[in-house]
This record gives sequence, C-alpha cells and structure tokens, in this order.
Amino acid sequence: MKTRLCAVILSRGLDEMLRFCLKNFFESAEQLSGEIEAEAIVVDNASPRPYLGTSFSDRRVRLLRFDAPTGFAAACNRAVQKCEAEQLLFLNNDVFLDRSTLGQMLQHGCDADVGVTGSWLYFPDGRVQHRGVVFGNDDIGPYHLHRGQYLEPRRPLEAFQAVTGACMVVGRELFNRIGGFDESYAFGLEDIDFCLRVRQCGQRVICVDAGRPMHFESFTPGRVEMDVSSRRLFMERWRGKYTIDG
Amino acid sequence: MGDEMLELTVIIHTRDSEATLPRLLESVRWAEECIVVDMESRDRTCEIARQYGATLIPTPMAPRIDGIRNAFLERGQHEWVFVLDSDEYLAEDAEENVRGLLAQYGESCDAFFVPRYNMIAGQIIRSCSWYPDHQIRLFRKGCVRWGDTTHKLPELLTAPERLHKLEPPGCLHIHHENYTSIEQFIDRQVKYALNDIYPEDGFSFQQYVAKAYEEFFFRLDEKNDGELSFALATLMAWDRVVRGLIHWERLGRKDSLSRAYSLPIATISRYPDYVFPNDLEELRRRVQMLESAPGVKSWARIVKSFRRERRKVKEHLKRILHCFRK
Repeated sequence: MKTRLCAVILSRGLDEMLRFCLKNFFESAEQLSGEIEAEAIVVDNASPRPYLGTSFSDRRVRLLRFDAPTGFAAACNRAVQKCEAEQLLFLNNDVFLDRSTLGQMLQHGCDADVGVTGSWLYFPDGRVQHRGVVFGNDDIGPYHLHRGQYLEPRRPLEAFQAVTGACMVVGRELFNRIGGFDESYAFGLEDIDFCLRVRQCGQRVICVDAGRPMHFESFTPGRVEMDVSSRRLFMERWRGKYTIDG
Repeated sequence: MGDEMLELTVIIHTRDSEATLPRLLESVRWAEECIVVDMESRDRTCEIARQYGATLIPTPMAPRIDGIRNAFLERGQHEWVFVLDSDEYLAEDAEENVRGLLAQYGESCDAFFVPRYNMIAGQIIRSCSWYPDHQIRLFRKGCVRWGDTTHKLPELLTAPERLHKLEPPGCLHIHHENYTSIEQFIDRQVKYALNDIYPEDGFSFQQYVAKAYEEFFFRLDEKNDGELSFALATLMAWDRVVRGLIHWERLGRKDSLSRAYSLPIATISRYPDYVFPNDLEELRRRVQMLESAPGVKSWARIVKSFRRERRKVKEHLKRILHCFRK
C-alpha cells in the first residue's frame, strides 16, 4: 500500500507563488508515484482575497480558510486534524522543491529513529538559506547554520537539534503523540520548539541534502515582527535545556 | 475550537441546494441547533439536511426570500441566531470568531454587521460596491425583521447603536458563491426584478436611468476586478433600467419614458439631483463657504480639493460644476 503524504502549506495572498510551490511539490511527489500518494492542504491564512477551490486546478489540493490571521502552530495543527496521511510535510508557500527533494527526505525520514527530516534550502542566488539549526551561547539561541554562505553539502545527511519548519517531514503518529506545534508561539520558533520536544522523545532530527530546493524566506508582510515575542517565549522555556553547538 | 457546541441557532434557507448545502452544513457543525427551511426542493437537499442532523422545515415556494425569513426566526431554541443562504458558508475559524464576538459584545449589542465576500463567475469581487457588503445575519432573536423584498438588509428593531459593525480585514466573514457564471447572474437578476414589489406612486423613469449610470459608475473597478468588472457594472446598470420598465408597465404605462433618453450627459446637467446627491450637497456647501470668504472664488481650487478626496467622481464633477456655472 502506498504511503500517504500530505503537504500542509500556510499561505496569505501571493497566489502565483503558492501555485508554483504546489506545482513543484506535486512534481517532486510524482518522482515517487509508485510509493506515495500525495495531497496538499492549503491553509488560507486570512488572505485579503480568499483563495478559491477553483484557483488550484489540482483536485489533490484542499482549502482551509481562516478569516482571522492565525498563528503557524494553530493553523498547522488544525490542518493536520483534517488529513489522514501517515507522513506530513510542512511547507512554506515560498519554498520551491526540487524534483529529487521528497525522495531524499522520505528515504531518510522513514528510518525508525528519525522523527523529523529537514532539507538544505537555498536562496534564489544560490546561497544557503537553511542546512540545519544550531544554538549559540546566552541570548543568541537558535540560528540557521551557514545562512547566506555559498556552500555545497559534503554529506547526504546530518543530525541537528532542530531544522526549519519551512520544509519539514514528520510522521503523523509522532506529531499527534507530542501534541503538535505549541500554539503559544505567535509566529516563529514553534518549529524549533517542536524539534526539541521530538528529541526529548528519543527521536532524531536530521537535515538532508535533497537537490536544490529554493526558499525565498519571509515574503509574507508583518511576519518578522512576530518573531520578537516568539523568541522571548522560546528562551524562557528552553534556555539551558539545549546543547550549545560548536 | 471549543469542546462544547455553541448555543446558537443557524437558520438556512434552501431551494434545490444539493450542490452547496454540504459545504455550508459542514462549516456550521459547531452550532448546537441547525434549522433548514426548504422551499420545495426537487433534488437531494432535504436528504442532505437530515444526514447532517438539521431540523427540516418544509415551506411553500415564495417569490421573495426576505419576507419568509421572519416566519422562522422564532423557531430556534437559542437566544442568538445566524441566518445563512444555501450558497453561503463560513470559514474554518468561524466558531472561535463567533464565540469571541458573543463573549465581547453579547451584552452591549443585539446584532452584528458581518462583511461578506461575493464570488461571481469564478472570481471574488473586491470593488467597493461589492465588498465588504455588510449583512445583518447574526443577531439576538426578536431584534431583527426583514421586509417583503429579495436580498435586502433587515431592520434592527432595537436601536442603531445596538448594531456592532465588524471591520475587515481579519474578522468573521460570510463567504458567498453567488453566481457561477454571467448567464446565471442574468437569470437571477431577471427573476428578482420580476418578483419584486414596486411602489404605487412616485414613478420616475429618469430616476431609474440615472441610477443605472450611478450603478455603472460605482460598480466599475477594473483595477481590482479586471474585465469582469465591466460585465457586472453593465449588468447592474441594465438591471436598473429593466426594473424601471417593469415598474412602468405595472403602473399602466402612464408616464412618459422619452425624457430619460437624452441621458447621460443631459441627465447630469439637467437633473443633477438624481446623480450623487450627497456629493452635490457637499460641493454646494463648499462653494457657499468659499464664497463667503472674501477674495476666494477659485472654481478650480474647489474642484481640485474635491477631486482629491473623491477621485471616482472626477469626471462627473466637471459636468456638475458646469451646471452650477449656468
């Protein structure tokens, strides 16, 4: 029986970008058509002009509309309740997957001791956007390793304490077992909090070299301001409970 | 999402609604009571309503939907009522939004003015004449009454200040998939026009024609809605003219229609009060104010300041101003 994979994509406006994101997701999924059955839930997070069912020609796309702006955690948790897939892919609307991305992520992500699988992501100019999240001393906290550098992967996968929720594969059973994303976070760092809780369950968090998926990063207006309160909450909860990298 | 169902009665009016009813019923599952008032559906509407556990009340076909709404408002067992049509639905977070509104304003107001998105011919229309399209649908039982009309706002029976207006963005909305095509839009407009009630006196075809121009002008918003905006503005203008002709015939074809055929330019210069009466009044006020100030009599200046505020009426103001000069 094929494994069902559901992409949960939270999006506000940026219709064309979302369309392209979905196109890339399904193209990447088609490379595994013999093994997985792909679908997507688009969470319309209070777009000024709501998405329509007819906006996406693909019948595998379902829409979940929120009239009021909703946090990433709450919106994703609600979307997960609406799907039955065994594997979940949390994907930002400004991430364009490579054809080989899903294959690589699922190949490693299905290992018994792997809880969360992230992917190397690149800015459009080829610099690294994400290759794993590391933790600094004191108030530095979590940050993207080698962000903004020109770098090529040397290993197919590496273990980290956390990876970005912009492109993250998680098993549904594990997701539900640890209670999904923590909805106390306004917007930002709920993914890191999630990864740390996954590790507390004894599962690994890995980041794989999965082609050259692209991430434009923080395209949605007003997104950055919310990071401040989220970071404060994160540090209150986790300071002293994570390992300082390097 | 609350664990307990919300003590609220949802009343839905249906007629051959099998295509849209499941989506609506799914979107209000959190309401404790759901009543479907069905007007002689010939499809699976009643069966779907029963499947979702709604209370089904059959009622004979009525030419005007608003009039029959009143008859069922008291049937619900809860204090708060949400009235919806079968081609409408609510968003995923409607429950939280309604709960929040009732908790915050339930004591201080009797009804909510809820914005509505309208989807016409596959597109959500965002021109200011179609959006936010506020509707009084969520209210305290006994506080609202509809007239014998079709798709008009009801009257709030308590006091205007007891109406709480929701200001978009980021608030509860009604989502309305009005018409799937232009053809369906035309079909419905004709039906509504034919089934409407027209007053026995005060007929003026000029007024209908002037309203047609007004409709066209205010509905047209190419920037927001593209080419479809032209089609809808034209249809709404046409609707006014059609209504004028129906009214004229129902009154025995007594009045002359010909005076209206010198429109549009002549209308605006000859009958300026029919077009934009509020704008005209404001312009008059400003002219008087400026004339009373010694040394300030610049027409251009008046028009410029007025244009800045009301860009849309720019061209029409030129004509109105021309009329004033005479």
